[in-house]
Amino acid sequence: MSALMAIKPDFDTTSPPPAAAEGTPLFELRGISKTFPGVKALDDVSFALWPGEVHMLLGENGAGKSSLMKVLCGAYQADAGEYFHKGEKVEIGSPADARKLGIAVIFQEFSLVPYLDVAQNIFLGREFPSRIPGLVDRRRLYREAQAVLDLIGLDIDPRTKVHTLGVAQQQMVEIGKALSQNARILVMDEPTAALSDRETERLFAVMRQLQEKGVAIVYISHRMAEVFALGDRITVLRDGKLVGRARPGQTTPDELVRMMVGRTVDMSYPRNFAQKPGEIALEVRGLSSKNGIRDIDLTVRAGEIVGLCGLVGSGRSEVARAIFGADEVTAGEISIFGKPRRGGPDAATMAGVGLIPESRKTEGLALIRTVADNLAVAGLPKLFPNKLFSPAQARRSAEELIKRLRIVTPSPNQSVALLSGGNQQKVVIGKWLAAGTRLFIFDEPTRGIDVGAKSEIFALIDQLVADGAAVLMISSEQAEIVHVCDRAYVMRGKRIVGELSRSELSEENIVRMGMHHD
Amino acid sequence: MTDQAVSSASPRLPAVPGVAVALAGLSLFFALASPGFLTAGNLSNVLVQSVILLLLALPMTLIIMTEGLDLSMGAVLTLASLVLALIVVATQSLALGLIGALAVGLAFGLVNGWLIAGLSIPPFVATLGTLGAAQGLALVVSDGQSVVGIPRFVRLVYSGETFGIPTPILIGAGFYALFHILLYHTRFGTYVCALGGNRDALTLAGVAWKRLLVAVYMLGGAMAGVAALLMTARINAGHPTAAIGLEFDAIAAVALGGTSFDKGNGWLFGTLLGVLTVGVLRNGLNLMAVPSSVQVACIGALVIAALLVDSLRSTRS
Repeated sequence: MSALMAIKPDFDTTSPPPAAAEGTPLFELRGISKTFPGVKALDDVSFALWPGEVHMLLGENGAGKSSLMKVLCGAYQADAGEYFHKGEKVEIGSPADARKLGIAVIFQEFSLVPYLDVAQNIFLGREFPSRIPGLVDRRRLYREAQAVLDLIGLDIDPRTKVHTLGVAQQQMVEIGKALSQNARILVMDEPTAALSDRETERLFAVMRQLQEKGVAIVYISHRMAEVFALGDRITVLRDGKLVGRARPGQTTPDELVRMMVGRTVDMSYPRNFAQKPGEIALEVRGLSSKNGIRDIDLTVRAGEIVGLCGLVGSGRSEVARAIFGADEVTAGEISIFGKPRRGGPDAATMAGVGLIPESRKTEGLALIRTVADNLAVAGLPKLFPNKLFSPAQARRSAEELIKRLRIVTPSPNQSVALLSGGNQQKVVIGKWLAAGTRLFIFDEPTRGIDVGAKSEIFALIDQLVADGAAVLMISSEQAEIVHVCDRAYVMRGKRIVGELSRSELSEENIVRMGMHHD
Repeated sequence: MTDQAVSSASPRLPAVPGVAVALAGLSLFFALASPGFLTAGNLSNVLVQSVILLLLALPMTLIIMTEGLDLSMGAVLTLASLVLALIVVATQSLALGLIGALAVGLAFGLVNGWLIAGLSIPPFVATLGTLGAAQGLALVVSDGQSVVGIPRFVRLVYSGETFGIPTPILIGAGFYALFHILLYHTRFGTYVCALGGNRDALTLAGVAWKRLLVAVYMLGGAMAGVAALLMTARINAGHPTAAIGLEFDAIAAVALGGTSFDKGNGWLFGTLLGVLTVGVLRNGLNLMAVPSSVQVACIGALVIAALLVDSLRSTRS
């Protein structure tokens, strides 16, 4: 609660921002609560929006930002709370109600239909009737869609099918869809996450135009630079509760992060770097694979965390896949604990290699199965040497791992899909522990995991190497590599371009080595 | 060569070469193998015989676009045909008979839609159940016997000509045009595509999609009712196994035509080509005196070949 006390007390829903007109807010939520089975997604949240302001909404994954947006646009019904539009009490019972009030939302998961074209997607549910009853006025549809595309500066044919567009273009279509509703209140969920710099600039320009027209914008972002550059006011959520309000000029990024996590983020938990590395766990010489990587040389010893960094697309994941036997090797040698590695992932697993993949939900877990099933799946030969599955044995093993890894789950029989990102990641690690893995390859181990759970994952990785395992860790977060790794290799253009020892390891060195020099 | 044709074609036409090549190849083969194939009379025959299949394949395209399936169509057609035959024989009224057939189709469509949209039962299971129900009812109402004595004015629907063109061809063309407008020029068609592509998008757009999904299956039932009229006229009777298994040909034609079983990726003209391909195959094999059971195997092989070509193409690109 100390973080709360630090916030200037003059921000409540009754004080409009200086830039906005005096008087009643454009829209106000009071005491909104929403409960899902087992989770209080929103707990007595109140906030107000004035015309022409950009209201930043901050919070970790699972803090309640998405739930709040869905309540606001009518996709969820709040269990308790009231809505006021220009001071008058209103009801939002459906998306149609929200739209009538001028609320439009740009979702992070796209609400686009892949095999409809851009124009049909922009006006989905709002098709223009033709003079012939029952038909759609297609000429008007494409004319109006073109006008929307011109507004957001997107240079594509409105007849293009959406599935042929790239992610950034789809995001822009999504933005166009919201703008075309003549929204008075526009809600954006990390709109720049998939955009290039040029597209981001374009989006900010459009936002400024909208602000001048008196549109209120709710903006969810994880980028502090955006929060301070664009925001008029900031609201921070944590565990479904409103934990603080602030203005950009009167707070700092550190203070906001402290509010979000509710405690000081400790990335540099004590790690004993002085440990003497043991036997060679992984040795790669002159490795090339079908996926394009060339002449890879690297070594990982037991008791070491070795980083593999470089820009996205530099070939890091391809190295991991080749070592794990998922991609065909065209040249070079890989040995695991002194023995040459042959065969596919099954052979790699038997040899003691475990891959914790980047896309946890599709490659790391069987989402519809239970925690216990997922914990057993890699270790079946070890857990059941006589080749007969025993539920009791699987459950015993699962309970042991749940305790050892401190996985938060009501029971081993819980569906793994219902766990938080951090606990899901622990299940992936646990399944390799059950398989007796001694060489762990982590691909983006903290992707999609809360700030608080991150250090817990790192503590776990640290424990693995303290117990004598070897770890190869791929990460796009240079700070993580610097804090955690004993050594790191830097990749560029599908090759390893350098190795940094613990003393040389810094974000500047990684970035300098990994950048392309033309 | 086909690869280039694909990549330069608009994204809506990914399977043109596949199904068009199959149609052209089969036509060429039968023209060479069977002297009777390439005559005006026989080609007209192919078209006429394809109409019943087309009437099922059109709504099947929409159903598959919603990531659904209707296995009950053949059995519902059979039941509707028997009901139509019984009513027409009893009342001598084509209109009453057609109303009866449509009522049967709509009722089964409503049940299918309710099971699938309302109770979230997978379409495969739901329509397998109603297939059994319709087939059983067909045996009950007919007592296992054919209904005979169909009046001439009913038979003329299939064997007659209008403006010098066989009536079934006009019916087929009319319904094709209707479905084209429905799919590409109405809200309903847009929503059908969205039902398979992204139901959340419909919810967020404020569209009550469950009702729409029920409507799609009712459309399928109604078309089975229309097809029942042509079937009754064609075989000059109501027969308790008249159209059993016809849903297989319909699904095959839709799949051949390049409609995908996920994400709402459908193509109506491809379905027309697929129907003609199945029609040509059946007609040609008939001319070559190949037994019906072998024909079914040939259609199955053709569908697998066509889907294989599509999957090879998509993995290469």
